Amino acid sequence: MKNYIILFFSLFILASCEQNNSNEINIYSKRHYQVDIKQYENFEKATGIKVNVIKSSDDELLERLKNEGKNSPADLFVTVDAGKLQKGVQMGLFQKIKSDIIDSNVSNDLKDINGFWIPITYRARLLVYSNERVNKSDLSTYEDLANDKWRGRLLVRSSSNAYNQALMSSLYANLGEETVTNWSSDVVKNFARDPKGNDRDQVKAIAAGQGDIAIVNSYYIGLLLSSEKQSEVDAGKSVSVFFPNQGDGQRGTHINISGFAMTKNAPNKENAIKLLEYLTGVDAQNTYVNNSYEYPANPKVKPSDLVQSWGDFKRDKLDLNALGTFREKAIKVFDNTGWK
Amino acid sequence: MKTVKFQDKVALLLFVLIFSPILFLLVKSFNQDTETLQYLFKNLLFDYSINTIYLVLITSFFSLIIGIIPAWYVSNYQFAGRRIIDLILYLPLAIPTYIMAFTYSELLSFTGPFKITYDFLQIEILGILLAFSLYPYIYSVSRISFSLFGSRYYDMAKNLGLNAYQTILKVVLPLSRPAILSGLFLVVMEVLNEYGAVKYFGVNTYTIGIFRSWNSMNDSGAAIQLSSILLFMVAFLFFVEKYFNKNKRFSFSKNTQLASLNSPNNSMKFLIYVICLIPIILAFLIPVLFNLINIFSSYEDINFERLLNLTFNSFTVSLIASVLILIVSTFFLYNEKMSNSKVYYYINQFISLGYSIPGAVVALAVVISVTSLDNLDDNIKLLGSFSVYFLILIYAYIIRFMAVGKSPIKSSLEKYPDSYNNSAKNLGLSNFKIFQKIYFPINKYAFFTALTLVFVDIMKELPITLILRPFNFDTLATQTYEFAIEEMIPLSSIYSSVIIIICCILLIFLKMFLDKSNVFRN
Repeated sequence: MKNYIILFFSLFILASCEQNNSNEINIYSKRHYQVDIKQYENFEKATGIKVNVIKSSDDELLERLKNEGKNSPADLFVTVDAGKLQKGVQMGLFQKIKSDIIDSNVSNDLKDINGFWIPITYRARLLVYSNERVNKSDLSTYEDLANDKWRGRLLVRSSSNAYNQALMSSLYANLGEETVTNWSSDVVKNFARDPKGNDRDQVKAIAAGQGDIAIVNSYYIGLLLSSEKQSEVDAGKSVSVFFPNQGDGQRGTHINISGFAMTKNAPNKENAIKLLEYLTGVDAQNTYVNNSYEYPANPKVKPSDLVQSWGDFKRDKLDLNALGTFREKAIKVFDNTGWK
Repeated sequence: MKTVKFQDKVALLLFVLIFSPILFLLVKSFNQDTETLQYLFKNLLFDYSINTIYLVLITSFFSLIIGIIPAWYVSNYQFAGRRIIDLILYLPLAIPTYIMAFTYSELLSFTGPFKITYDFLQIEILGILLAFSLYPYIYSVSRISFSLFGSRYYDMAKNLGLNAYQTILKVVLPLSRPAILSGLFLVVMEVLNEYGAVKYFGVNTYTIGIFRSWNSMNDSGAAIQLSSILLFMVAFLFFVEKYFNKNKRFSFSKNTQLASLNSPNNSMKFLIYVICLIPIILAFLIPVLFNLINIFSSYEDINFERLLNLTFNSFTVSLIASVLILIVSTFFLYNEKMSNSKVYYYINQFISLGYSIPGAVVALAVVISVTSLDNLDDNIKLLGSFSVYFLILIYAYIIRFMAVGKSPIKSSLEKYPDSYNNSAKNLGLSNFKIFQKIYFPINKYAFFTALTLVFVDIMKELPITLILRPFNFDTLATQTYEFAIEEMIPLSSIYSSVIIIICCILLIFLKMFLDKSNVFRN
């Protein structure tokens, strides 16, 4: 019996010792979409470089990176929020990425002005409204959501959610503390219910008649409309998409990126850059837009047909690092105004 | 003068190994900035605590109701299908709380089969859903406790003029209190640790506060402090309960005849079926059928190679960690039993504390402690390789789930009087021989119970696995979760079903094994 146990454990440890070949890339990923698996497989086929991934929440992965320090096996960190990338930069975890190919692949206004992170896709945090109960002409800006014509009609998820924190950070950066605090307390008064659920649940709540307008990320609408479940497609069809702050002189709709950063001691730096060049290239960008309904970071690529049908929109040109630097202030606004 | 015995040295080493991350956490919480903590206290913690208490109360209430009442009828009445009903009543333990929550969210949503327009994301509904997965903790302990009452207790109650209702209230429940409380303790711990489902339901609990300070306020120090406070509160409650029950240890008198099963009349039978079928249908059949039906609708998308691979991963980590937990907890508990010193008693209390901290924080504590070892010397390079992270993962499971493994072994060991070891010692047997010849055979059911419960818990575990796993290492639980949070429930169903099926098989096996042991009357 004893021998079996020893045998079992030694076999296991043998089996679990991975060979340290350098033809690989190690990624810590907050993204866990099916399209990512496809991208990494395609990259492996094209280059022979193996992509290893650990998926967890971004804050936990940053903590893990910090603790691993120079011993970390990770080359790249990827998440869905510029604010968290900025957090990693603040923690001193990343190094600048230099590549002419990436530089020419990515839209200028999406880039990190400090050169630490690379955007691959972006999404808009926009409004959806009930086709039955809301006139499009009543919608205009994020600021207008504080208007009491929306009393008891607005749906949004909790302030613990990173997308809402990013939105509030952008508003804080654009409008200043006093205005944004007043805005938030009025918005809370307009809630149809306490914040809960995910973005898709807000759309379903409109379909169910629990509220009339909601703040959601663009690609969730795409996912609902392309669902295999007819009831979800119906829910998606019961609402329309609206890009706020598009008028003359207005700053544009709040966006956020999915982006990569390279760790300070990346053991496979060259491979990592190759991967980023690949992911920002036209082929991979097309794969992204057609599978996840995100907007491409590469201006040569068009969004998916469905997303294009919502029309073009003007992006808020705010430096996306502000989504990180203003986060703590944004949290305090949430807490002080009772946005749960 | 006695030299320190070998086993005491091993014990000390093991204790340091298991307790040091928790100790690290406690020490670290004292040298952190308290700004965030003060902010949270001022603004949020009152609300968060109220929500936590309310949620704990709802889940406890429903777990007690659907745990104790069926246990009472199954233990005392004979009716057709009794054994199968008894068996199924345990099985919701195989369904992780997040799968329960996702399943019902799909069913109760507007886009679900019933087009429900009511907003189901309510704290009360969450509390009931959690009770669905957690009540078996209460059911199992109540079943054992109710089955062990001898007829003498009932005869006495009858002689004292108590009716059936009064007997339950005044005799059965007070006598079963320690057992039920130990089950309830596990339920409460699970609720305190719940993260995914509470976040989805928009219920801000204390654990949400821990993650808010870590994730949103960028202050892992505050998260550590909050976890330490939680740990102290749980430890305090635990010791208070111990203190008040100190003089109330019950040993069931063995020579009393076990009461025979009653034959209910027809209306009683009807009542029994209704009472037992409610938890069976709601907490087991509906989620299981829902998942199985989903598999059929997404059959062509199933990647069987990956499924096999993840099943192997889940199985391996669960098996290794649960065997180690079994060995370590038996070692400590047995030493407590055999040793005259109080030291082992305290060790046993301390190493259970990991269960009161959210899994993600246990993971953080482990990473921090291993890192500090790493930083001692430049030549030490622990972090980074697959095998090290694999070991760290197992290590974290052990810290977190030690309490689950200990509890059945402890209660089983306590049943046997110390006179056993005295006579064995008089016969000149060593401690190890006594264990081999006496304690192992008579406690084997408890060991098997401990192994199964820990295995099932690790199979379902999520936060620790997500944070500490090595590269490309997915388990059934992590894959279920990744699909589910993207609302790809049909795709997640095959993975969740495999978790449920494996855990069910083990629980059924355990139940049959225990039935053979005559722990229960049949």
